[in-house]
Amino acid sequence: MLDAFIQGLLLVLQWKAFAFMLLGIGVGFWVGLLPGLGGATTLALMLPFVYNMQPVEAFAFLLGMHSVVATTGDVTSILFGVPGEATTAAIILDGHAMAKKGEAGRALGAALASSLVGALIGAAALALAIPVVRPLVLTFGSPELFMLAIVGLAFIASLSAQGARGMLRGFLAGGLGLFLAMVGQDPQAGIARFTLDSLYLWQGLDLVPVLVGLFAIPEILDLVVRGTSIAGDTPAGHISHGALQGVKDVFRHWWLTIRCALIGTFVGITPGLGGAVAQWMAYGHATQSARTPEERKGFGQGDVRGVLGPGAACNSKEGGALIPTIAFGVPGSTSMAILLGGFFLLGLVPGPDMLTKHLPVTFSLVWTIVLANIITVGLCFLLLNRLAALTAVPGHLLVPVILVLVFIGSYTTNSSYADILVTIIFGGVGYFMVLAGWPRAPLVLGLVLGKIAENYLYISVARYEAAWLARPVVLVLLAIAIGVVCYPAFQAWRARARASAHA
Amino acid sequence: MHSRASLALAIAIMLLAGWGTISALDWPWKAKLFPLVIGIPLFCLAAAEALWSAFGARGERQAAADFQLSTDQPREVIIRRTALAVTWIIGFFVLIMLVGFPLAVAILVFAYLKVQGKEGWLFSAVFTAVVWGCFYGLFDMLLHLPFPPGWLFTWFA
Repeated sequence: MLDAFIQGLLLVLQWKAFAFMLLGIGVGFWVGLLPGLGGATTLALMLPFVYNMQPVEAFAFLLGMHSVVATTGDVTSILFGVPGEATTAAIILDGHAMAKKGEAGRALGAALASSLVGALIGAAALALAIPVVRPLVLTFGSPELFMLAIVGLAFIASLSAQGARGMLRGFLAGGLGLFLAMVGQDPQAGIARFTLDSLYLWQGLDLVPVLVGLFAIPEILDLVVRGTSIAGDTPAGHISHGALQGVKDVFRHWWLTIRCALIGTFVGITPGLGGAVAQWMAYGHATQSARTPEERKGFGQGDVRGVLGPGAACNSKEGGALIPTIAFGVPGSTSMAILLGGFFLLGLVPGPDMLTKHLPVTFSLVWTIVLANIITVGLCFLLLNRLAALTAVPGHLLVPVILVLVFIGSYTTNSSYADILVTIIFGGVGYFMVLAGWPRAPLVLGLVLGKIAENYLYISVARYEAAWLARPVVLVLLAIAIGVVCYPAFQAWRARARASAHA
Repeated sequence: MHSRASLALAIAIMLLAGWGTISALDWPWKAKLFPLVIGIPLFCLAAAEALWSAFGARGERQAAADFQLSTDQPREVIIRRTALAVTWIIGFFVLIMLVGFPLAVAILVFAYLKVQGKEGWLFSAVFTAVVWGCFYGLFDMLLHLPFPPGWLFTWFA
């Protein structure tokens, strides 16, 4: 085992494999920065180039590229409030708020350091979990996966706003997201649902145009209203400072970072949930780490824990997602499904062979994730001052550039102008939600989870009828969901009890 | 203001959920299971929020864990600038439809710098050329994204 582990490292360090990894990192770096150009799309575009490569070289290229996309996607999300990737939207809530307070350097430092920690934990999980994960994954059937989706939604809906009214709005936003996920052709009966007789809506609402509109348009409107740079009146010299503080924040909240990375790994392992879910679950968990309702009010206003939670989860999920892909040939996400195609192109069959005959190749994947992330984070830290200084650029120079990026990012999804229209409509929805004090995070999670949840609910009911509700893991997950919903009320009651005891 | 926005959102969701639920009743159970499971509670939650917004006490604003719009400008300035920004956004979309993406990008960047930013001719021209060069080089020459010609070119071709 140890031999294979070291052999895996040596394979990646061969000059050809290492050079391909650097090339992949270079591509992934820019793909992550550009809104709309997704990691999965780029993987698909690059797949034909690996035909003539050796397996280690091909995976160094593909995985090197894929594992840095989320890291650089965080940079665009923090600096401009435009999600570089669908998987980096959660970091906007507090990361961009910090950038607006002149703490872009600290936010970037925290995001990069937590990304690295997350990637390392994900890679370690991949190395350690292969022998033990099989029974865990096999205990999760459709009823359990449906309940897991409900737990995720309960997490974010109950924790993204204050009090009973906030919780009501959180669940309303989550419900709206689930409703919007139903737009398009129904997967079971083939009925066109809520398509308004439009061919474009038959395939459903794509996540990227919705996300870009929901998050970027309100930020652009606010930037025009303020008439200043993103960082406002903060002196330019102060903005890039604090990167080290951001790194220290990761160690100050070390246990939270680890927990969020583990959430990301677990979501990655679970087939079908996808990367966009991991960040929101981690954000919900980070919010839960606030000890008092007052402390929780700081989330969304620039609390560094809201940056390092999603940052860690986003990168750790890659290692997690590779576990079922390699061990059982069950891809955990779209990107992993494309990567699985790469396995077959190169003549490798996922399954027991990858854990015995090709074990050094499997460990080379672990090392690729580790090395690619270390190199990218190092590179980002070198460029950090220049990147953070962008928040001091006057708003009237940034607005047209961001607007072009937003529209292009949206258009690239399907190369359709209708995507831009969707972005504008959801920009309006996002603006009204912010104006009304409604959280946007549950809507996104509802949209992400909708199709998965519907599929699992249908299979559960068709296969088990009402008996699926009595399965032990379902009951445990239901108890967790109820606990998550009741926890803020319990916290508020405890704070009141303490206050009255002190009075 | 936020209470009225909340009421409007709640009513919109009520209408959406009501329409979704009624539409779903005609579908086979495979297709209507999820719409009914989601639509009915969504309608009830939206009705509760609408009632709360309309008749509830006007207390302190409930902040979500989300970004807050700036309030440090006078209300009329906020409304005027927001309307201006919306005009630019919709104008850019209309421009893309009329003249196609590449030309619309150049026109938007130049016009925004000149009109909104009140920059000089030279700076606006150079900045526009740089942004357009990056856009064209990356998305057209490198990634070969298909940009259809604008309606104007199709009509007058």
